[in-house]
Amino acid sequence: MFDQYVELSYLIPLLPLIGACISGFFGAKWLKGNSHWPIWIGVGVSAFISIGLLIATISQVHSHEGVGVSAHWFNWITAGKFTAEAGAWIDPLTVVMLTVVCGIGFFITVFAAGYMKGEEGYFRFFAYLGLFIFSMTCLVMGNNFIMLYLGWEGVGLCSYLLIGYYYEKPSAREAAKKAFLVNRIGDFGFGIGIMLIFLTFGTISYFGGGVGSHTPGVIELASMPLDQLAKIPGVNIDWVPTALQWIPFCLMVGAFGKSAQFPLYVWLPDAMEGPTPVSALIHAATMVTAGVYMIARCGTLFAGNSAAMMTVAFVGAFTALFAATIALRQFDLKKVFAYSTISQLGFMFAAVGVLAPVAGVFHLVTHAFFKALLFLSSGVVMHAMLGELDLRKMSGLKRVLPKTRILMLIGCLALAGFPFFSGFFSKDEIVGAAWEHSKLLAISLLVTAFLTAYYTFRLYFRVFEGPEVIPPAPAGGHGHGHDDHGHDAGHHNHEPSLMIVPLIVLAVGALFAGFFNFPEDHLGNFLGHSPSLIRAYHVAEEHVEKGGEINPVPLGQRDLRETEIQDHEKSTERMLMVISGLISLSGIGLAYQLHLKNRPAGDALPQKFPALSNAIENKYWVDEFYDAVIVKPLWRLGQILFAIDRIVVDGLVWVVGFVPQLSGFTLKLTTQRGYLQGYAGAMALGIVVILLFVFW
Amino acid sequence: MGKLPMLQQMDPLALQHYLAVGGILFVIGLIGFISRRNLIVMFLCTELMFQGVAINLVAFGRYLNNDLGGQAFTIFVLVIAAAEASLALGLVVLLFRQKNTLDANAWRELKG
Repeated sequence: MFDQYVELSYLIPLLPLIGACISGFFGAKWLKGNSHWPIWIGVGVSAFISIGLLIATISQVHSHEGVGVSAHWFNWITAGKFTAEAGAWIDPLTVVMLTVVCGIGFFITVFAAGYMKGEEGYFRFFAYLGLFIFSMTCLVMGNNFIMLYLGWEGVGLCSYLLIGYYYEKPSAREAAKKAFLVNRIGDFGFGIGIMLIFLTFGTISYFGGGVGSHTPGVIELASMPLDQLAKIPGVNIDWVPTALQWIPFCLMVGAFGKSAQFPLYVWLPDAMEGPTPVSALIHAATMVTAGVYMIARCGTLFAGNSAAMMTVAFVGAFTALFAATIALRQFDLKKVFAYSTISQLGFMFAAVGVLAPVAGVFHLVTHAFFKALLFLSSGVVMHAMLGELDLRKMSGLKRVLPKTRILMLIGCLALAGFPFFSGFFSKDEIVGAAWEHSKLLAISLLVTAFLTAYYTFRLYFRVFEGPEVIPPAPAGGHGHGHDDHGHDAGHHNHEPSLMIVPLIVLAVGALFAGFFNFPEDHLGNFLGHSPSLIRAYHVAEEHVEKGGEINPVPLGQRDLRETEIQDHEKSTERMLMVISGLISLSGIGLAYQLHLKNRPAGDALPQKFPALSNAIENKYWVDEFYDAVIVKPLWRLGQILFAIDRIVVDGLVWVVGFVPQLSGFTLKLTTQRGYLQGYAGAMALGIVVILLFVFW
Repeated sequence: MGKLPMLQQMDPLALQHYLAVGGILFVIGLIGFISRRNLIVMFLCTELMFQGVAINLVAFGRYLNNDLGGQAFTIFVLVIAAAEASLALGLVVLLFRQKNTLDANAWRELKG
């Protein structure tokens, strides 16, 4: 059964692509309001195959030690020594990512059909969505770095197109450009990293066994000792030690750009200009987690390099804390969740940084559920409030939006890490892994968890609890185009079932996804069969023996360790679980005190610390800083270059054109007047001159 | 090329004399071409220049190579000149019909 699913794997990216083509090419004229059908069917069948593949892989895991199969689709590029095939690498990591991408992607496309109803360019939206799923599945399935890069750039393109979906709005255009350009910085590093990989290892496949390559792949090569590596043809052995120092940093830059980590996080909050389903799918659940996936996949390249791992972990933890503080003083629902996404991605980076990829992927999965839920719920709020999202202008919406309130509450509890919700387990696992490695890291993550609980419930209490305040339709509400559809005076149904049903599914995920990995390490055991993670674990272990600093977190097979260590680990774990539960509760309690029970006190709080609240409200002036240090100088340089182009280059071109023109004009007035005698005389004189030259 | 009988040493006419005649004919033709504006006269002047060149060719052929090459070339030149003359005269007649004058300057607008 497993082999059959592997054979079928090419359908997973292909079907959404076909759907995208159908919607894109036939949507404008023929499909119109039915443009969602090709995408629904394409993504739905892909999700179905993904889940089948997941189940088949799970059954495979029971009988095999490591599960990883390469599915060859076709030879894509062949140029000299360089070959890239289009094909999939199916292992537990891939299928978990695929299930998240296609499964959550499917529910979001269902939601989007309700949310985007009647929008201009409805077909365009769904075509982009299908293209996105195609790129994202290529990204997570590909069995080499070129496929990864294809997906990486493809999702970047779709992100750009979808952020700029309301392209009549200048802010949406600007946000789209910003996202694209900031990602470009990251992708530049990523591209260099892939080139370095090819130059060093002579291949870009993850693992050997692909058609045309009988040599091992990059991930295997990176885990080999040097003397063994020297015997492999194609490996540039002199480069290997230096390259292994630099490749992780290059790849990391790409991951920081795509997954919105400091200092390249600035595009994600602005990306909220896109329609809400896009924010949920691309900018919360799937695309932004590509960096985490990539680092988990390339574990062997990272694990032997303590500096790189420390950088990943500390940048992640710093971003988590930094973004959480900004989220404290944001007033736009989607902006709060955007900063929260950056912060949660920071958690995942901290996890992969301390060599706990399982915890990272676990948080990725739970986060995908609850953050998609939160974004889509705020989409319902936005839909009902005619585009208004300012939480200062609304209050007590629980009567108007009763179902949404419950769904949002579930999402908030999961994000806040309320005990026994999914976010609690995954966050706790990351904190536990960080605690093993560095107390500082763990404490900063715990502080972040407290802030997360606080800002999440600040939002919840402000919007859904307290006295009912429904904002008047904002003037800018037109921008999101919800003013003329189903919002006549009656206002009867704010919660169409097409939008609520997908939310219920996601809410079930947000409630129970935590039990994938608790109390039994199901997810960890499963991912522990991924060759990428196994090899990374061994590399890290060897590295520790040689004096490396980061102890890898075991891949779910804890039972293999000595009982004494197990008991010790369990007691630490329990202690941390209690602590993080208390922290979450206290954050929620503080939010309750300041934003429900005694709102004036909450409103007065910023005035007590004007400097701090000012800094936070202005997002630490990071955008302004970038503007002054990077954008403005570049803009000025551009102006200078433009002036040089105008004056020097264009001037030269003008002179080149002007000289013949002037001489032609002069000749026309002097010699070429049409007198035949003149021409004859000139010719005779010319001959005389030539003869003089020749015979003198 | 077939060889001609050798020249007599005491021939009173040297190559220079023929060249002088050819040159004078050519220059007369050139001056006439430049100074006159009547199309037919100008055409006749070109014929004069042709004949000057033809004399040069025959003279060179006789004095330098002593063969029939120069004369053969001259025959070619004359044939071409005859063909060209028939064309040119036809053109001149047509031009005259257009403007009722033979003045070359009447066609200045053709300068482009």
